[in-house]
Amino acid sequence: MSEPILSVKDLVVKFNLRGRVLTAIRGTSLDLHPGETLAIVGESGSGKSVFTKSFIGMLDQNGWIDSGSIHFEGVDIARFRKESEWMRIRGRKISMVFQDPMTALNPLRKIGMQIQEAIELHSGLSGKAAAKEAVTMLERVGIGSPELRARQYPHELSGGMRQRVVIAIAMACRPRILICDEPTTALDVTIQAQILKLIRGLQKDFGFTAIYITHDLGVVANVADRVAVMYAGKIVETGTAEEVFYDPQHPYTWALLSSLPQLGIKGQDLYSISGTPPNLFNEIRGDAFAPRNPRALKIDFLHEPPLFQVSPTHNASTWLLDPRSPKVEPPAAIRALKAKYARRAS
Amino acid sequence: MLKYALKRLSQSIVTLFLVVTLVFLLMRLLPVEGYFGARSDKLTEAQRVAILDKMGLLDPWYVQVGSFYKNLAKGDLGTSTIYRMDVPVTEVIAPRIPYSVYFGLVATAVSLLLGLAMGVHMARFKGRFWDKTWTGYVVFINAVPLAVYLLFVQLYASDLLRLPILFDKHDPKSWILPAASMSLGGIAGYAMWMRRYMVDELNKDYIKLARAKGMSSSAIMLKHVMRNAYVPMAQYLPAAILATISGSIYIESLYSIPGMGGLLVDVIQRQDNPMVQALVLIFSSVGIVGLFLGDVLMAMVDPRIKYEKCEGAR
Amino acid sequence: MQEMENLSADLFTFAEFDAESGERTGYSDYSYWKCTVRVFLKNWVAVALLVLLAALLLFTFIQPFLPAQKSPTEIYNDPATGMQIRNLAPCKAFWFGTNSIGQDLWSRIWSGTRTSLLIAFTVGVFEIFMGIAFGAAWGYIRRLDRFMTELYNVLRNVPTVILLMLLAYILRPGFKTMVIAMCTTGWLGMALFIRNQIVIIRDREYNLASRCLGTPTRRIIMKNLLPYLVSVIMLQTALSIPGTIGWEVFLTYIGIGLPVSIPSLGNLVNEGRMIMMSPDLRYQLIFPTLVLSFITISLYMLGNAFSDASDPRNHV
Repeated sequence: MSEPILSVKDLVVKFNLRGRVLTAIRGTSLDLHPGETLAIVGESGSGKSVFTKSFIGMLDQNGWIDSGSIHFEGVDIARFRKESEWMRIRGRKISMVFQDPMTALNPLRKIGMQIQEAIELHSGLSGKAAAKEAVTMLERVGIGSPELRARQYPHELSGGMRQRVVIAIAMACRPRILICDEPTTALDVTIQAQILKLIRGLQKDFGFTAIYITHDLGVVANVADRVAVMYAGKIVETGTAEEVFYDPQHPYTWALLSSLPQLGIKGQDLYSISGTPPNLFNEIRGDAFAPRNPRALKIDFLHEPPLFQVSPTHNASTWLLDPRSPKVEPPAAIRALKAKYARRAS
Repeated sequence: MLKYALKRLSQSIVTLFLVVTLVFLLMRLLPVEGYFGARSDKLTEAQRVAILDKMGLLDPWYVQVGSFYKNLAKGDLGTSTIYRMDVPVTEVIAPRIPYSVYFGLVATAVSLLLGLAMGVHMARFKGRFWDKTWTGYVVFINAVPLAVYLLFVQLYASDLLRLPILFDKHDPKSWILPAASMSLGGIAGYAMWMRRYMVDELNKDYIKLARAKGMSSSAIMLKHVMRNAYVPMAQYLPAAILATISGSIYIESLYSIPGMGGLLVDVIQRQDNPMVQALVLIFSSVGIVGLFLGDVLMAMVDPRIKYEKCEGAR
Repeated sequence: MQEMENLSADLFTFAEFDAESGERTGYSDYSYWKCTVRVFLKNWVAVALLVLLAALLLFTFIQPFLPAQKSPTEIYNDPATGMQIRNLAPCKAFWFGTNSIGQDLWSRIWSGTRTSLLIAFTVGVFEIFMGIAFGAAWGYIRRLDRFMTELYNVLRNVPTVILLMLLAYILRPGFKTMVIAMCTTGWLGMALFIRNQIVIIRDREYNLASRCLGTPTRRIIMKNLLPYLVSVIMLQTALSIPGTIGWEVFLTYIGIGLPVSIPSLGNLVNEGRMIMMSPDLRYQLIFPTLVLSFITISLYMLGNAFSDASDPRNHV
């Protein structure tokens, strides 16, 4: 396997909320390989957004990287403290696309200007040349009559078009990594597919590495090469999309997949995960998912499970993979999924 | 844009008409004493009736309104009864307009300049020393009645800075204190709103995108936050002009500036009805024009306005 | 890794599942008012101001019943000469000194504070009452919206000072005039404010959702609208009182305020202003100003502190 482009080791991110310290990311690691598309999935509040924001130094003012490292191009960017250091990375090497295109653009400035701004910052072009490049970018992301659009204000464009503009801005610097934070959540279903296709097309042309943050498993199945499942500030399982979808190991992944309506069995109640995610203000002992896991082991409440290697590309952090554990069958929906996959493979 | 301005203009004209009529009718509620002036004691009942009749005050109200507008069209606002007996109101007011305009403009300019600068400074250092210091100033100015703190400005600033305590048009130094006093409130108002709008803008999503683009925070402040915060500020401008008017009435009187505000206080104290009526009309018109300009300015700087007027109305 | 080897086999058995425990880890011990009070109490400046202001208000109203208080309106004569005790500096008999006609400044200040607060509260209560009534109607009855909006558009053009001066001028000066004039000018702003809040909240998704779920209107108003409105109304009232006191001083200065015979903060400040050029007598301006400023500043700050505290975004 190739050298990772970005390598996160034991990252801990904390926030200070009115004098109380909250641990949003609880020591998690991740390798990102050049050219791949990684999807980070998990429910709201699991820390997926915070995790990726720490790659470009965009944590909120009250948040900080407490320990751990993020290696990118031979530098540990987790040690960056000054804005000027981040400026070399942010928007230049790593870009980000946000969830809501309706609010991501400055409502009072013309589309063209907003793209031009990014171009001028990173490419050395300026004035007319940058404006022309902005129009080219607009065309590149599939916006018709780009010259006209460049002179319009955001409120004159539809949501899907605005998301294309946001992508154009993110692509303006030809980044090496593009982080897409729920890029389609706020869009119509019909537009969603178009946007995903656009990003994939751009990825082919520009050869960047993409990270998707999403709780939409449909998106994951569509785009991801690899999947990382996050729960309560920790990645609990990573693997190729096939491995995570058809051979999941962690009880949380099981629960997450089981709650997909598509996997429900007609006439039976839809599965839903009981309980709520843990309060991150408190210290979490053992496996964070244990209190919501009906088949948790005693050890889950006491000791944090280590990462168990399932295959060279697949690992999960659950005591179930320890040889001493009792054999636990995954839920019926997961077994059905596995069987279906096996049938298809053969 | 032009359509909006025209619509707004017609609205202002209707408003002006309503306000003028309303003020005129309200003034009719006053006891008629104010129309006899200094002669009041010496007049016989018959003479009184004759005077009122001559002034048209015994006609039905709608006739009075009609003749009032007819005179207004000719530029006739009546004659002063007490303040300067039998002199046309316009003649009394005209020489005083330049002072009010001068002080009004200077105060508006100074408070805009310093207020916006202070607001930007506060937002830039939000939660830190300067923010707290200026907030203290804003709280003080907003909470303590202007009629109170301006007294102390007059009293102690004239001592400390060795400036004249009363206005004298031949002494340029005597212009400073009143102009500064008129600006104090405006500065606090502009600073407060500018800070609030900038902080609002700072929390918006597009700031995140601008940061993710790789813009430095000072560039974001300059190109996005400040520019966007100016837009709602445009709307605040007329309100600030109205506030300056209230301040000017008090301050002109306090420093004996021969402007319209001081005159209004004088004629109210001496109960010169035609003068009060004329000045109230002038000040109301200034207010209407100010609000009109503010709304048009707002529409000019904000490209979204024509859309929001349709959707946002409900 | 060594530790892992030593784990007892017993640990690798199923734990008892307790569905409740999954819920218990959540965040749900939240109560709106409890949090509001807690955040407010954390702001020690505001708490200190609240205590001081309460003490001052209490004192203002019990002052006449305390022993050894002088009358606020009686003119005191020197028993030896029979002359009025004019402009006497603060001393044992007259704690804050006397004014230019020999009245006791100490009792005048408290009497004046009572008058001014009475005006301010009357106007404040009226504004809230009219503001809520008209604001609610304005916000809820769509047919009324057009008319009220137009009315507001006309009236907002006239500077408050001008309207206030005009009204106070037309009606003869006095307590009632003052209250009527200020009520006339103040309520519309409050009504617009309430209307805007109601329109904003009414159309929020969570209210729509409540209605769809069949929640009765009364419950929506009690649970969804009111808690939010109470805090903004408190803020508006807290800001309206300093405003009213300010206008009172202003109108008095112009000569269309309360008659000189009734002590009020406006009259006191105005009396102090007339003799402020002689440094020895400035205490007559400074004492009333201090009381007035303390009341207005603390109300202003308390209003803001409370509105901060009642903002759920500050509840963590």
